[in-house]
Parts: sequence; structure tokens; C-alpha cells
Amino acid sequence: MPVIIEPPPEEDAPRPSLRRRIGWFIGLAVASMAATVLVAYTLKALLV
Amino acid sequence: MNFDADLLARLQFAFTIAFHIIFPSFTIGLASFLAVLEGLWLTTRRPVFRNLYLFWVKVFALSFGMGVVSGVVMSYEIGTNWAEFAKASAPVIGPLLAFEVLTAFFLEASFLGVMLFGWRRVGPGLHFLATLLVAVGTLVSAFWIISANSWMQHPTGFVELADGSLRATDWMAVIFSPTFASRFVHMSLAAYLTTALAVGAASAWALLKDDDQPESRMALRMAIGMFAIVAPLQLLAGHESGKMVLEHQPLKTAAIEAYWRTGPDQPQSLVGLPDRDAGKTHLEVAVPGVGNLIQGVPKDRVLQGLDAFPRADWPVVGLVYWSFRLMVGLGLAMIALGGWGAWLMARKRLDQSVWFLRAAVAMGPAGFVAVIAGWIVAEVGRQPWTIYGVLRTADSASPVGAGQVSASLLAFMVIYAIVFSAGAVYILRLIDKGPEPGPEPLPSGDGRAPGTALAAVPPEPEA
Repeated sequence: MPVIIEPPPEEDAPRPSLRRRIGWFIGLAVASMAATVLVAYTLKALLV
Repeated sequence: MNFDADLLARLQFAFTIAFHIIFPSFTIGLASFLAVLEGLWLTTRRPVFRNLYLFWVKVFALSFGMGVVSGVVMSYEIGTNWAEFAKASAPVIGPLLAFEVLTAFFLEASFLGVMLFGWRRVGPGLHFLATLLVAVGTLVSAFWIISANSWMQHPTGFVELADGSLRATDWMAVIFSPTFASRFVHMSLAAYLTTALAVGAASAWALLKDDDQPESRMALRMAIGMFAIVAPLQLLAGHESGKMVLEHQPLKTAAIEAYWRTGPDQPQSLVGLPDRDAGKTHLEVAVPGVGNLIQGVPKDRVLQGLDAFPRADWPVVGLVYWSFRLMVGLGLAMIALGGWGAWLMARKRLDQSVWFLRAAVAMGPAGFVAVIAGWIVAEVGRQPWTIYGVLRTADSASPVGAGQVSASLLAFMVIYAIVFSAGAVYILRLIDKGPEPGPEPLPSGDGRAPGTALAAVPPEPEA
């Protein structure tokens, strides 16, 4: 079974640059919000 | 009982909200628990905290999802079944619910993605920030919802226009209505207790099957620590909330305590069968002369009984009376369980006490039951008003027929039974499986695992 929830990085794993990490932080947050908005508007479209 | 459209709409809302409240009351506490686990992992690097995090975050994600789905239904229900309420109160309640979505729900929904899919991508520090933001988001969500409900319990800072609609004149008075603070504290503590009991039950269940599980042993100790402290605090918070009810909704207090007659020096009814029609409590066990004391008022202060209000305005006394006793009884059982667990921990006999582990498992659902019972006291006790003293429930419903409401009620019952049963079964299976030990950190060359106390000791110089 694939691991869906990402575990923490290994102690000795190379650390991505701060810019890259912040990019992922903002990207994942925006993608999650977009997914939520999509579900909400789909529900609204189905019901109204 | 006449099942008209109004009653069916109330039953439908009661059904959907009783399902919904299970999930936020769990996720509010679970989000904070996850933040504590991750904080402990970051500071100690002990794998037990990481493994517990990775286990409980799955339960959190599922519960959060089911909470969202069940919550969305209710907002549409206000439009379909409670259009008159929406029409009158939207200028006041609408912004509060919108603030909840904008400041809390989106905060939770956005950073949940980072929590679940970004630990390696964003690194430990930013991931911890995301977990903290989600934990704060759940509390901010509770803030707005309790604010809206507290305003419905005791509306302030508004005017009623000629067309019957309401307008806010003082937003601070709307948001921080007099009962808000005590109710917010009471609900937040209830959420933490619910989570602690559920985590404690899951851990006790795992230890009953196999007592060699460091993750479950740690989680059980954390849960006991939580409910041993929070359960007594909740008793005080509940008492404060009760004092606000006495001050602002004396009819609700009269129903909770089955005060049939107005007078000083009220008795304290312990158990009995309230009879709304006869205006008395059958087979009552009561302690005379302590009712006022428990309400925190002098013995000679006159407390209004149900007889001070028109009978048509009485709520369903028996339901309010027994829901309150169920909530308080479970609260006392939680205090006892916390005290027992703390005593066993102090004597280092927790893992050997099979009876305590069984009791912890049995008390697992107690938080959820107590939360639902508490909300029945709050909501049924407010009847026959949706906005206390301003808008009656009978004037709040949509002009729809009983047939339409009963059809949607039936549909909800079937869909909820399928969707939420599947979700609940999945969560219970996950809990039954328990946390996975996960990969232990590889020992360093000298055989000392990184992150342990031993690893911090400098190696001895070679001779």
C-alpha cells in the first residue's frame, strides 16, 4: 500500500533550500484551499 | 405527537447537528494533541512521538473530512427548512458564519494539505507551523460558531426593523454576547476531554491486546494527564455556564432542575420523572434546601419556577432534565477516571491495572455522549425560541409541507447511515490496528541511536 501521508525526513537526508521549502509550503496550502473551494462550489452547483 | 413540518424540520436539524458535532468536538482536541506530539518530537526526537503523530493524523484527516461534509449539509438546511429564520437573522448571523469560513475553515483546509503531504517537502519547522495553524484554526472555528449560538441564546447589540428583520448595531456586543465567554470555555474544554477520552480508550484497547507498545503507553499517559486536569476544570466551567443560564434564561434553569414552583430555597432534584402535564416530578429523589446553594445564589433568593412562565413556552422538561443529568453524570465519571489513572501513574501501577484499562475503553465514547447531551440541554432548553425572546421556532420555519421535510429527513437518515457508518468503521479499524512502530533510527557507529539521551553523551576518547 502506498504511503499517502508523508513521514518526516530522515535525520541525514539532504535539506532542500529555504526558498524551495517555502514554495512547497505556499503551493500545498493554495492547492488544498483550491480543492476545498472546488468541492464547495460543486456542491453549491448541485444544490442551487 | 403531531409530526407537522416544523417538528420534522427540528428533528432533521437535530439529527444532522448531532452527527456533525461528533467530528468537530474530536478534531478540535486532536489538532492540539497533534501539535503537542510534533512539538515533543521536534524537541526530543523520540520516535514514539513521531509514530503517534503519523497514526493520529490519519484519524484527524478522516474526522475532519466527515466534519466538513456533515457541516455543509446544515448550512443548506438553514436555507431549505429555516428560511424565515435566515431571512430575519442573516444580517447578524450571516457575517459570523462567513467569518468562520474565512478565518478558520480555510486556515484548517489550507494547512491540512501541508500537514498530510508536505513533511519532507517543507521540512520539520514549516510542517510544525502548519500543524499549529490547523490547531489554531479549529479553535477559531469554535469561537465563531459558539459566538453565533450564544447570540441566539441571549441576543444583544441589534435592532429589529419594521419588516421583522434584524440588524446589528454593535458588532462587539453581537460577537461577545454575555453568555459567550463561559460557553466557549465550556465547549473547548469539552472538545479536549472528548479527544483525551478517545485517545485514552484507543491506547488502553491496544495495551489490553499487547502491553509491549511504547506508543500506546505514552498516549495513555498523555490522555490521563489531560483528563485528570481538564475534567475538574470542566466542572467549574460548567458551573459558570449554568450561572449565566440562570441569569439570562431562567426558564431553561427551571427545566434543567425541574423547578415547578417559584420560590426561595429550592430543592436539588437528583433523579426523577418530570411530568410536564401534571407539573410535578414523579419518583423524585431530591435534597431539600441545597438548590440555591448549587446555583450559587443565597438561600432566600427567589428562583423562578416553570409556573412563572406560560405553559406554552415550556420546553420538553423531561428531555432537558435528563440530558443535563447524563452530561453531569458522565462528567463526574470522567473526574473519577482521571483521579484513578493519576493515582495509578503515581504508584507506577498503570500498566498492570487491567480494570483501569477496561474502564478507559468503556469511557471512550463518554465525551461524545456528554457533548451531545450538553447541546440538547442548550438547544431544547431554548425552545420555543430560535433567537431567545426575539424569534419563535414556529415563525422560523420555511413554508414547506411535512411531506417534503419527511422525504429529505428520510434521505438524510439513509445517506448518513451509509456514509458515516463507513467512515466510523474505517476509523475504528484504524484504531484497532494501532500506531505502527515505524522505522527506528539507525544506531550510530557506537551503537547509540540518534535522538536518545545516550547519544548526547560524548564518546569516550580512544586510548
